[in-house]
Amino acid sequence: MDDLEKAILIIFDESGTVTSVLKSQAVAFCQQIKDSPSICSICIERLCFSNLVQVQFWCLQSLHEALRGRYSGMSTEEKNFVRKSVFSMACYDTLDNNASSVKVLDSPPYVRNKLAQILVTLIYFEYPEIWSSVFLDFIPNLSKGGVVIDMFCRVLNALDDELISQDYPRTPEEGAVSGKIKDAMRLQCVSQIVHAWYDIVSLYKNSDSELCAFVLDTMRRYISWIEIGLIANNTFLPLLFELMLVEGLPDQLRCAASGCVLAVVSKRMDPQAKLTLIQNLQMSRVFGLVAGDGDSEFVSGLASLLTGYASELLDCVKHINNGDLKRASVDLLNEVLPSVFYIMKNCDIDTTFSTVQFLSGYVATMKTRSPLTESQLFHVGQILEVIRLQIRYDPVYRDNLDVLDKVGKEEEDRMAEHRKDLLVLLRNVGRVAPDVTQIFIRNSLSSAVGSSLDVNVEEVEAALSLFYAYGESLSEEAMKTGSGILRELVPMLLSTKFPCHSNRLVALVYLDTITRYMKFVLENNQYIPLVLAAFLDDRGIHHSKVKVSRRASYLFMRVVKLLKSKLVPFIETILQSLHDTVSQFTSMDYASKELSGSEDGSHIFEAIGLLIGMEDVPLEKQSEYLSSLLTPLCQQVEILIAGSRIQNSEDSPSKVTNIQQIIMAINALSKGFSERLVTASRPAIGLMFKQTLDVLLQILIIFPKVETLRSKVTAFIHRMVETLGSSVFPYLPKALEQLLAESEPKELVGFLVLLNQLICKFNTSVQDILENVYPVIAGRIFSILPRDTIPSGPGSNTEEIRELQELQRTFYTFLHVLATRDLSSVFLSSKSQVYLDSMMQLLLFTSCNHKDLVVRKACVQIFVRLIKDWCTRPEKVPGFQTFVIEAFAINCCLYSVLDKSFEFRDANTVSLFGEIVLAQKVMYEKLGNDFLVYFVSKGFLAAHCSQELAEEYCQKLQGNDMKSLKSFYQSLIENLRTQQNGSLVFR
Amino acid sequence: MALPNQQTVDYPSFKLVIVGDGGTGKTTFVKRHLTGEFEKKYEPTIGVEVHPLDFFTNCGKIRFYCWDTAGQEKFGGLRDGYYIHGQCAIIMFDVTARLTYKNVPTWHRDLCRVCENIPIVLCGNKVDVKNRQVKAKQVTFHRKKNLQYYEISAKSNYNFEKPFLYLARKLAGDANLHFVESPALAPPEVQIDMAAQQHHEAELAQAANQPLPDDDDDAFD
Repeated sequence: MDDLEKAILIIFDESGTVTSVLKSQAVAFCQQIKDSPSICSICIERLCFSNLVQVQFWCLQSLHEALRGRYSGMSTEEKNFVRKSVFSMACYDTLDNNASSVKVLDSPPYVRNKLAQILVTLIYFEYPEIWSSVFLDFIPNLSKGGVVIDMFCRVLNALDDELISQDYPRTPEEGAVSGKIKDAMRLQCVSQIVHAWYDIVSLYKNSDSELCAFVLDTMRRYISWIEIGLIANNTFLPLLFELMLVEGLPDQLRCAASGCVLAVVSKRMDPQAKLTLIQNLQMSRVFGLVAGDGDSEFVSGLASLLTGYASELLDCVKHINNGDLKRASVDLLNEVLPSVFYIMKNCDIDTTFSTVQFLSGYVATMKTRSPLTESQLFHVGQILEVIRLQIRYDPVYRDNLDVLDKVGKEEEDRMAEHRKDLLVLLRNVGRVAPDVTQIFIRNSLSSAVGSSLDVNVEEVEAALSLFYAYGESLSEEAMKTGSGILRELVPMLLSTKFPCHSNRLVALVYLDTITRYMKFVLENNQYIPLVLAAFLDDRGIHHSKVKVSRRASYLFMRVVKLLKSKLVPFIETILQSLHDTVSQFTSMDYASKELSGSEDGSHIFEAIGLLIGMEDVPLEKQSEYLSSLLTPLCQQVEILIAGSRIQNSEDSPSKVTNIQQIIMAINALSKGFSERLVTASRPAIGLMFKQTLDVLLQILIIFPKVETLRSKVTAFIHRMVETLGSSVFPYLPKALEQLLAESEPKELVGFLVLLNQLICKFNTSVQDILENVYPVIAGRIFSILPRDTIPSGPGSNTEEIRELQELQRTFYTFLHVLATRDLSSVFLSSKSQVYLDSMMQLLLFTSCNHKDLVVRKACVQIFVRLIKDWCTRPEKVPGFQTFVIEAFAINCCLYSVLDKSFEFRDANTVSLFGEIVLAQKVMYEKLGNDFLVYFVSKGFLAAHCSQELAEEYCQKLQGNDMKSLKSFYQSLIENLRTQQNGSLVFR
Repeated sequence: MALPNQQTVDYPSFKLVIVGDGGTGKTTFVKRHLTGEFEKKYEPTIGVEVHPLDFFTNCGKIRFYCWDTAGQEKFGGLRDGYYIHGQCAIIMFDVTARLTYKNVPTWHRDLCRVCENIPIVLCGNKVDVKNRQVKAKQVTFHRKKNLQYYEISAKSNYNFEKPFLYLARKLAGDANLHFVESPALAPPEVQIDMAAQQHHEAELAQAANQPLPDDDDDAFD
């Protein structure tokens, strides 16, 4: 073993016994050899005598890199040498006629694949011009047997992967080379290759099925672009069908044959020609094979074949207009469908996705013609049956799913994924055949309920899921009137309690289903008591499983939202029934239970708020209800806060969670009270919320650093702004001061969002508040945000950068609402003045350079507004006018649009462009010739604009037609761009 | 399979190769597993980190030696030489960066050239980020090549175990194999909003049902 071989073994070592120092020495040594000019011959020479696979791999890898990197610089002799050597290796020849030489083809597949990759690299550079005979030279060598055949397939596979297949991103240049190679092969050697494939498969089908399968898998890749007649003929097809039909051949081979037939069937061609091709196949020969072993690889391949075949026929049905041929297509389709259904019902294989795609396509064709034929109705019934079977859980997982342990969670996820497309299919069926679907669902439900004493959880769950999914396709009208048998089904369901109702899945889908059909109850109020019972008893909020009861709380809230005015007579009953749940929610013990996303249980308060917040409830009752809820909650907060005030110690997480729960509850409760009720008609109620706000704001003082509490209190302030209207003002200074205590990007975003809400709601009434906070915010933000671009591109996709981007976006929105809501004087207050320059520079930079065009547009709009406000005589803001004319007009209105990246075909760009033109119009209106003269002379003329165009611009700008100004300015810009022709680089 | 000074073990272990564009979160992903992170070994000279990740199945303990070729894409190093003897693989892309998904087929091809017929999982990482560029519905590559696809979020540990469980089942040839205890994971840095995630998924199912909107060319008047 020489040094190079030793070094290679060291760098590939995985035994864990080589030291790092040695390894790095070896790496350096190998790299040195790789850089040598004679690397190609070093590698080839080594490949002749080293049988160490690592060495072979390294040599092939280095040879490949050398070819990719240096081919054009290589001498003709070197190229000839490499070509000849590589080809000999691929043909199992020895290079030096020495019988003891090592042959690369005797090595493991990854070494042979590496060799194939090199050969394909040569083909890339040399075929057909320099090395036209590569394929024809290869074919005679196939007679040497399996080793060379295997290599030939690897080369063809590599050719497909590296150059031809459309599955990979390719440069236009690679695309051109691929086209050239395919054209040359079609003319020169494809038919010889196909003959070779045929001969090999015929010869080896019984002796080496693995080899034959490999050949067929390669052939399958080529069928899409070679002349189809070479395969779809009376020689090759019988062979392929024979392989599929003969029992006893290995699955792998039969599967490969079916893959080839599928490629033939899927070949892109005109529908009429396709039909002829399909008729010739006599595919019905293989239908019977689906009854074979349902789990086998071959049945899975067959399923793909039949689905693909049926899809092609469906295409023929859709696109052929000739009556006879269309009928022939329909007949063939009807012939194959039973086999497709059989597979879906009986085989445990993973072709569901493509089959469901096909079935959806099939159902879609029924939309266009009605009524359905008898065979179509039959097929629809079959499809429904398939769906029902496919969406049913396996009873094996019943307990796992019920308690939702790890296995149960996994099964639930899997099923959710599996169901998606099936349920879309169900809804499509529901649209084309509503009656059949409803009857099917009713039968499924009643057979599930009445099947036996043995509670059949899975059947009930599947039937309910079908009914639930079906609802999505119903129109509002059908839902309300209870079309078809809905009128019977909904009340039946509402009054049903399944024997297996304690099961989590059943209970959940039951609740979701009745909620979905609530519009029917909206029109049929006699069922309200049934609805309330279903939600309030142990089928809903009082279900033994917490996951069900929380979901029930949420759904009950939605139901209340929908039915609320009809529920007034029931309020007392509802509140009584919920009493225990409500007090549980804010108890310490409950809070410590896991909280999950949106279903935290607070919805029960929202539901109650919606009910008691109605004006239909008399004031006296309303105050009583509200105070009975708010008073204990506020007291609880005060006690918790008081504890922290004294101890001043680390607060336990459970205390924080507890407070959090209470804020959420109050927040949810308040949602039911409108601003009108609270401020105008019943101020006593408003007072109760103000007192609550007072209590909750103390939380910010006591726990300034607890992020979760902070965000919950902020959310509550948002609410109170909406509910209390301007009477919230007295509370704002204190609240904002506390919220500004923290200044991380994320917190600042939250703060700005609150300010934006205030501005949008109260406009100039919040001017004083803003004059106080703006300088503080501006100071923070200008120290956080970079003055130019936030880094983008690979590697910058981090959480920190996303936070900065978010802050930046929110800040621009903030500036935008300030400017457009008549608050631009906030920027000019004595304390804000210092930030004016930074702000203007940032706006200018952003309006010219930001990669998000919508942001640029917002900045231009801010400018337009500021120009309107500030460009007055005498000058309101010293220096602003000059800045606008010399910096904004030239850089944003001219240079930024002249840049080639400003793409007029893009909708956002066009919209930004509109604002830029408007800005010019406004500048002219406010600044007159001061603007126009400078813009034309320093802008246009410096950019070599012709005098005529400049004059026309002045006329258009002075005119009244914005539209024609806009289109003229666009043509002017395009004109200037061509004149520059890249000679002057702007910006 | 191990690196210098790395312990070998007496229970089944497998070489797992993790590939994908730079910045897709391969390193963050493997580092979630705390014991693996503790025992990892780094080879600066060839730019690879090998993390031994142990999992506890109902059939006993197994170990994945995760070869994280972090950052070496640029250096050269052993390139596809790393894949040799790989017994399973994870291809990672970033759902917030479209190009990383576009490159998945190339990673798959390069992997399969060296490792024929190994189980492979495709992982779409960073699903916790709100502005995704690659929607779940647009991920179709795994169907063509018979891979398993999982949406993950390394930062929030969302679906961390899924890829390993799938690979373990394939390698053991036992579809019912399961993990009996969870490995120690680093605490989540972000909370994935499961409700939003589910909503998102439900939306996708619905979207499939919607007709395409008419082209809106008002902007071009």
